[in-house]
Amino acid sequence: MFFNSSRFIKSLSLLLIALLSVAACSRSSAILNNPSTNARRITDDAGREVFLPAKVDRVISLAPNLTEIVFAVGAGHSLVGDTTYCDYPVEAKNIEKVGDTQHPNLERIIALKPQVVLVSTASQLEVFTEQLRSHNIAVFITDPRDLEGVFRSIEQVGNIVGYVEQANALVSSLRARAMAVDSALKQSPRIRTFYQLSAEPLYTAGHDSFVTDLLRRAGADSVTANVPGAWPKYSAEAALAARPDAIILPTGGSMGEGNGTVAKALASSPAAKSGRVYKINDDHLVRPGPRAVDGLEEMARALHPEAFK
Amino acid sequence: MTSSQQANQNRVTLRRTIITLLVLVAALVIVVGGAALLGSERLPVSNSLCALTTLGTRQCGLTSDHFDILFQIRLPRILLAAAVGGSLATAGASYQALLRNPLAEPYLLGVSNGAAVGTMLALLFFGSLEWSRPLMAFAGALVATLAVYRLARGRVGATPERLILAGVIVTTFLSSIIVFVTTMMDATRIRSFTFWLLGDLSGANTGLLPVPIAVAVVGAIILTLNARSLNLLMLGERDAFDLGVEVGRVRMAVFLIASLLVGSSVAASGSVGYVGLVVPHLTRLSVGSDNRISIPSATLGGALFVIIADTIARTVIAPRELPVGAITALIGAPLFIYLLKRV
Repeated sequence: MFFNSSRFIKSLSLLLIALLSVAACSRSSAILNNPSTNARRITDDAGREVFLPAKVDRVISLAPNLTEIVFAVGAGHSLVGDTTYCDYPVEAKNIEKVGDTQHPNLERIIALKPQVVLVSTASQLEVFTEQLRSHNIAVFITDPRDLEGVFRSIEQVGNIVGYVEQANALVSSLRARAMAVDSALKQSPRIRTFYQLSAEPLYTAGHDSFVTDLLRRAGADSVTANVPGAWPKYSAEAALAARPDAIILPTGGSMGEGNGTVAKALASSPAAKSGRVYKINDDHLVRPGPRAVDGLEEMARALHPEAFK
Repeated sequence: MTSSQQANQNRVTLRRTIITLLVLVAALVIVVGGAALLGSERLPVSNSLCALTTLGTRQCGLTSDHFDILFQIRLPRILLAAAVGGSLATAGASYQALLRNPLAEPYLLGVSNGAAVGTMLALLFFGSLEWSRPLMAFAGALVATLAVYRLARGRVGATPERLILAGVIVTTFLSSIIVFVTTMMDATRIRSFTFWLLGDLSGANTGLLPVPIAVAVVGAIILTLNARSLNLLMLGERDAFDLGVEVGRVRMAVFLIASLLVGSSVAASGSVGYVGLVVPHLTRLSVGSDNRISIPSATLGGALFVIIADTIARTVIAPRELPVGAITALIGAPLFIYLLKRV
């Protein structure tokens, strides 16, 4: 005999007990996410199943557009936390801050005991989302890539907080306004447009951005509509060569006076020469929320004043 | 060694220097021309070459848009890449000689971060004054250099090991200042600033472009003129002193010029990494460690390296762009590992 057999069996059984208890622990944590204790199961924009209790009245929003949606469907009172960038409506400023969109504070979120945390992929929080899920906090991800996606976000949030009718009413009024823009522009020629998110370095709206859809609906052909990504850094020479007839500058909102001038590469463009450079409130154009329709109307009126006389 | 032997050897060195530099200048002209023909927009090759050889005095059948792309966007950016690469590689080569340390490099010594903090303060407090950026970057680089040197100078003098350690401490301290300030910045400025921190040449400002170019050329010449002293310093400070080198004066000259080089390039393009480390090592491997050859070779080699890296950065996912710092690190890190294994 090379080893004491009884001691071997004893340590083996201890090991087994340890393994079993670990398994039991992980199973008990799994119960928290079990459909049987959580009454609802919904799918988010990332394709994940999210389990929620029947009544949700403790919500944390990690993006300004989602905060705006929660307030717009009338569920502002269920927000227990939001970010330092959440400044609209004014009531959003009084909600407890859990950090900014890039650096939310995990401890504070856990302490606020949310039933669900709303995340926008625009804030790029993949790792953080996994951390929240490992603490058994339900995370709902939205990823709107066009105006219909924004409407879907509104319906999803309304469904989560139990304000389905209000959300549906909001969506149909927003959709009616978008359709009104559509019919007003029926006779208008499309305008080749460059969307300048920032001048230095030069950023624009790409294929995956909901702004590209807003531009299309506003009677513009975005010259960067087929560039991969949502907010690509764009080559100055490609911008010059595109010779846009109009330029949109999102500025004047949270951006302040920033981005108020056209990039140097676009200074000789037909748009700059003919003065077709339009400043639009950036809060209406970078936040895929209810005010995106304001941004759509503002762009359409700026590009096609003749259609709205 | 007799004096005639010495003179003979100097002549050989001079000839070797001239040949090496001529080869590198020829390579630089070819690479500048090649980089000017590459970009997200396709320009007609023969017309572009014609316009380039006349230095933009004739349009050579190019449309005005193509002409603007070539001379308003591409060439300024290529020249800035050359100035930044030349500056950083020259600074790295002279630090390595002065401190007798192969790892001495603007980044490792905290000089680049000093320049970055200076630029950041200039952006925050004198945002509209473009001239404040290179000036504050130079001041930041110089303060960081002197801080590192003071920290490193113990009772036994500044040993190379102490210098590198002091550099690491100053670097991390300054990095935390950068992180603190960027966290306090509003979201819209963070994006452009983080891109700048990674090293970005897309903001090639034609108004300020002569500054980094002039600094690179003058700095490289002054440091090359000090190359003999640096050669002797490589024997050790005491030996150099005994051989008649004014150690303190040479050291201050290198610190001042290198701070100017690093400051002007960081202010123009952010932190382009690995240039000051990889290029001097490569040039020393190919032309030897005589600073009279290796410093000007590093200047030209650095220019070549960053022009090539930036051409990749602006074409590989065109019309989108990458920060050039990502490309220099991507090329530089494996190359450096290879060099370490060979030495």
